[in-house]
Amino acid sequence: MSQVDLEARIPNNVGLREDKRLLRALEKWQPAFIDWWKDTGPSDFNADQIYLRTAIGVGKGGWAHFDYVKMPDYRWGIFLADPVVDRKIHFGDHIGESIWNDVPGEMRNRLRRLIVTQGDTEPASVEQQRLLGHTAPSLYDMRSLFQVNAEEGRHLWAMVYLLHSYFGADGRDEADALLERRSGDEDSPRILEAFNKPITTWLDFFCFTTFTDRDGKYQLAALAESSFDPLARTTQFMLTEEAYHMQTGENGVGRIIHRCAELMHAGEDPRKVGAIPLDIVQRYINEWASASMDLFGGEDSTNAAESFASGLKGRYREGDGIYKDPKALEHSYKAEVPEGDHMVEKEIPLRRAMNALLLDSYVADCQRIVSRWNRDLERQQIDFRIVLPSKRFNRHQGIYSSACFTPQGELVDAEAWNSQREVWLPSQADRDYVESCMVAVREPGKFANWISPPPRGVNDQPLDFEFVKFH
Amino acid sequence: MSQKLVYVCEGGDCTERGSGDLFEKMRELLLARDPEEAQVRVRRYPCFGGCEVAINVTVYPDKIFYSQVTPEDLPEIVENLLGDAAPVERLTGAVQPDVEEMVWMLLDSPY
Repeated sequence: MSQVDLEARIPNNVGLREDKRLLRALEKWQPAFIDWWKDTGPSDFNADQIYLRTAIGVGKGGWAHFDYVKMPDYRWGIFLADPVVDRKIHFGDHIGESIWNDVPGEMRNRLRRLIVTQGDTEPASVEQQRLLGHTAPSLYDMRSLFQVNAEEGRHLWAMVYLLHSYFGADGRDEADALLERRSGDEDSPRILEAFNKPITTWLDFFCFTTFTDRDGKYQLAALAESSFDPLARTTQFMLTEEAYHMQTGENGVGRIIHRCAELMHAGEDPRKVGAIPLDIVQRYINEWASASMDLFGGEDSTNAAESFASGLKGRYREGDGIYKDPKALEHSYKAEVPEGDHMVEKEIPLRRAMNALLLDSYVADCQRIVSRWNRDLERQQIDFRIVLPSKRFNRHQGIYSSACFTPQGELVDAEAWNSQREVWLPSQADRDYVESCMVAVREPGKFANWISPPPRGVNDQPLDFEFVKFH
Repeated sequence: MSQKLVYVCEGGDCTERGSGDLFEKMRELLLARDPEEAQVRVRRYPCFGGCEVAINVTVYPDKIFYSQVTPEDLPEIVENLLGDAAPVERLTGAVQPDVEEMVWMLLDSPY
């Protein structure tokens, strides 16, 4: 088990004390990060005491230390999963060779781009969510939001560590740029489109953590297979924290659905009591699920093929040996693609279909969540069922982006699609209504009327625990 | 190549109910009898989605989905993995079928 230095100005298990040059560079970056957090992180809550989980190690329970902390004092650290002795490259063209502890020259640009793109999403989501604390439906939820924000900040640290350690002056410039771009900024936006949409309501936040953070899970899982060992070990540890974020979303949307169903079962109109009707929830799901599917990139991608071939990015759980063809040279992926007014089958060489494979895993995971929400509706004897939109619906990237599809995946013309747009995606009236439901509840144990309480509090605390202590 | 993969869920509910300790204990028990992981490897899994019946543990390619697993159950599970014992039936069948199907679908790659 690696030694964790918790006394250092930057807690870490990467031996920063012994690498003075790197330590100085990161200590120089640290104040800029804190300034960024104060400027664009959760607004107006920096002086309050939040009951947060802080990573203090990579072993069992090491990442689950709970205590009150003011967010700017959160101990953002650098933690890598422990190395695997004598690990070999297990996929792509370099299979069987030793893993890399330094960046091979010819892969430098590709690897840097992967790290910067992943790293850019971390501060972006914090910026997107900065105003949500003001309308938190409970102290429990407010704490969850700040937990997610603080851990996304730590994930930024993880990526910045890689940039500083392995990419020299270019890496340092990229690390600085991560603090300079801003979500939604016209002149200097975040790299990926889904990270430039403001998240102004808690329904958006829970959809984001359900669907968009889940894209993050699959991207991180693919990077955790990397032949560049520092990246693999960094992302393995990030995945541990990411599980909490996804559960926050899945449970959050589930609690909104549960509350609405409970009211309907009691014969009440959800709209008349400030709850969120199921058809609106469905439209938000359609919007966030489709935007998140775009984050996987094109289903037929030479970039993805090169990342796989060079050993930078594997398939989901590649290292477990569950794939028959670790070089991905013997198979092809079949996809139905639009051609004029009909669909035709296209065979994509497997290496070029890596994004499509990862997306399929993601869709199966999302379908499982939707089924869970529907089981609750069934239990409450409500006929409405949530439906995960087809991976063809509302796409702006990839093989389905050139045509229009219904949420069920049927090809339609643009006119038909536009006539149904407000049936399938949130209208301005939906957004106005959802925003009108967002009222702050700050009494311990109390919850806004549009969301059910969770079964229990975090870290086994009672629901009336004071998860946030206001100064 | 190892023959079996054991996954211990580390989703939120499983973690809160002690899946970290359960993973360590499972690994300890398996390595004591199979130090080279020649027959069984144990790995963490981000979340299966069977949160209502945490802690969840799966065995692949046998496709056994154990739920509500406690540290006391581990010797029996290990006996099935490395010995002649049958799967621990009382720990199976609690999770929703679609959750189980999703997990096998993700692991059963045609490629």
